[in-house]
This record gives sequence, C-alpha cells and structure tokens, in this order.
Amino acid sequence: MLANTKKYLVAGVGIVILVAIAASFTSYLGQIEDVQKQDVSQSKQMAVGKGYPAIGLETAPITIVEFGDYQCEACKKWYDNTRPKIIENYIDTGKASLTFIDLPILGPDSKLAAAATYCADDQGRYWDYHVTLYDYQGHMNSGWASAERLHSFAFNLGLDMDEFEECFNSNKYEQRVEFNSQRARSSGVVSTPTFVIVNSSGDQQQIRGAQPYSVFEKVIESLL
Amino acid sequence: MQNSFNIIFSNYTYIVISAIISLGLLLPLSIVSEYLFLEPYVVFSVYVDTAFNFSLIVIISILAGIVVSMNIFRIRLVKKVRRIGSSITGTIIGASAGACSCGPIGFSIITTFGTTGSIASSFLTNYEIPLRLISIIILVLVLWTTLKAIPRECKIN
Repeated sequence: MLANTKKYLVAGVGIVILVAIAASFTSYLGQIEDVQKQDVSQSKQMAVGKGYPAIGLETAPITIVEFGDYQCEACKKWYDNTRPKIIENYIDTGKASLTFIDLPILGPDSKLAAAATYCADDQGRYWDYHVTLYDYQGHMNSGWASAERLHSFAFNLGLDMDEFEECFNSNKYEQRVEFNSQRARSSGVVSTPTFVIVNSSGDQQQIRGAQPYSVFEKVIESLL
Repeated sequence: MQNSFNIIFSNYTYIVISAIISLGLLLPLSIVSEYLFLEPYVVFSVYVDTAFNFSLIVIISILAGIVVSMNIFRIRLVKKVRRIGSSITGTIIGASAGACSCGPIGFSIITTFGTTGSIASSFLTNYEIPLRLISIIILVLVLWTTLKAIPRECKIN
C-alpha cells in the first residue's frame, strides 16, 4: 500500500516536472515571438493593399488577412469551425473585414483552384466560388480540384461558362496567383492557414494554424 | 503477461520513464498536428471531426511509453540491446503523418523537395488515419512479444 502511494507520488512529481518544463518552453517561445513582433513592426508592416477580394465593410477597423490553400485540410477545419463565428460576430457587425490571399503550396491543383477563383471574380462571384471550393474539398491532389472539376463548380454556380473557360484556359490569373504566393512568403508566412490581423493604426498580430474562435476573439478585441 | 506487467511497473522508475516518454511524444505530436497551439496564446483545441485522430495520437503515445520503458527493463535485465528502434521510429513517422500537410513541416518538405515533397506530403496526409492505425498495430505487437519474453528472461537470470 505504502509502496503504491510512493509510486504514484513519484509519478505525479515526474508529470509536474514535465509540465513545468513545457511551461518554460512556452514562455521561451513567447519571448521569441515578442522579438519577432518587434522586427515585424520595425521592418515590414503588413499593408493590406486594395484589389484583394474582401468580405465586410471597407471602413471596418480590423482587417483579417487569411493566407490559405484550397487543398489544405487545416484551412478547411478553420473554414468549418472558426470562420462562421468570425463572420457572425465581427464581419456582419462591421468591426472587421476578411481578405483571402492565396498561398498555393500543396501541388498544381492548388494553383489552378486559386486561378479559378479570380475567373469567378470576373463575374462577381469570388466568394461563392471560394465557399464552394472549401465545401467540396477532397483529399490533397486526389483530383477534386482538377481543371475539369473546377469547370463543374463554375457551371454549378451558374457562371457564364464561355467567359469562365476563356479566362481559365488563357491562364489569365497565373501571375496573380504567383504574386500572391510571393507576397505571402515575403510576409514571413510558412504554413497555411496563417492570419494577419491588422487594425487601423497598423498594429498587427499573426495567428498560425486553424486556431479556435476564442483566440481570434482575444486578438481582435486587443486590437480594437 | 499480467505478471510481466506487474514485475516491471512495481518499480516506480519505469512508471516515470513511461510517463516521460508518453508526454514527450504527445506534446510535440499535438503541436505539429495542430491540436495544441503555443502562439499567441497557449490553446488546446480538438474539434469533433478531429477527435478520432487525436485519440489515435494519445493511444500511440501511451503505448510507446509503455513499450519503451518495458524494453529498457529488458535491456537492463539481459544486458543486451534489443532492436526496437526501427519500430519506434516507424511509429513516430506514422503518428506524425498528419503534420506533413499544410503546417510548417509540410511547407518545409514541399519547399525543399518540390514535386516529390508534394507527393510524399499528399500520401502522408491522405493516409494519416491508416498510418496511425498501423503504428498502433506495430506497438501492440512489440508490446505482446515483450510481455511474452520477459518471464522467460527472468527465469534464465
């Protein structure tokens, strides 16, 4: 009995030590993050340029910039779980706007999908197409975002297919997608989804990964 | 087999080793698989649709902790190095398969290896659950053989 108690006590102490190590590690990472933030604020403030499709009011005090890939599972996870709450509580209330910048890293279909969204944008349906892509996302590079499927999505949305095909087949937006990708990389984005949340004073904070709504709420409230 | 378990874990050192290994695997795997976030706040988040995947990581971490500590016991008992390294490495690769999609690790792989990296990343991501199940099977097999071997080795010694 005594031996058992001793055993559990030692195991408990071991676990506490591990948690303490993890906490110190977290604090250390926090310090690194602070230094990185200073670097960013001094050197490359994220200026959200015009011309990127956005939902929400242009005058909203907060801009959320999402760097994403249409084939990325984590982006879909964020799209399904966090995005609706942000739209409900911040976009629809005029406090924030949401912009999407492509970072198509997961294969050729990602680039095609990104280009297709701009062809849909030519017909004023960027966000409808964007939503369709995430709603029907399949396994990475399994063909769900092949050229044929992208045409089907456009057809199902009721887009003018002649105009869409002309745009898509001419690779009209290939360079724009490449530019977006370069822009994301130059902003220090190394994974998708990554979010940069900027307020009207230019203060910004980066969130990496499909983090829950509570994190976005805290960051947005701190920047408002 | 029950006896082997009792022999090893009656010594609290092996419980501690097992806990350290399990947590040492679970924490990084949770971070790379994006269940645990450290920035900008420490947040743990498992959505309903990813709960099964996360439970596989937990099972793998616990099994790995038990298997490694049992084999440390065996090594000390028979003074011979047992080859479990490959199974543990395979297990970790399987367990971290999901980290190879759009996270920083997947990004680095794709950036470094281009199309090949993209194909490898797709494979690891698309077969994440089967790979984790294979990892669990490997660990259960190693655990079973270890449990069978210990009483025999104890008698010899």
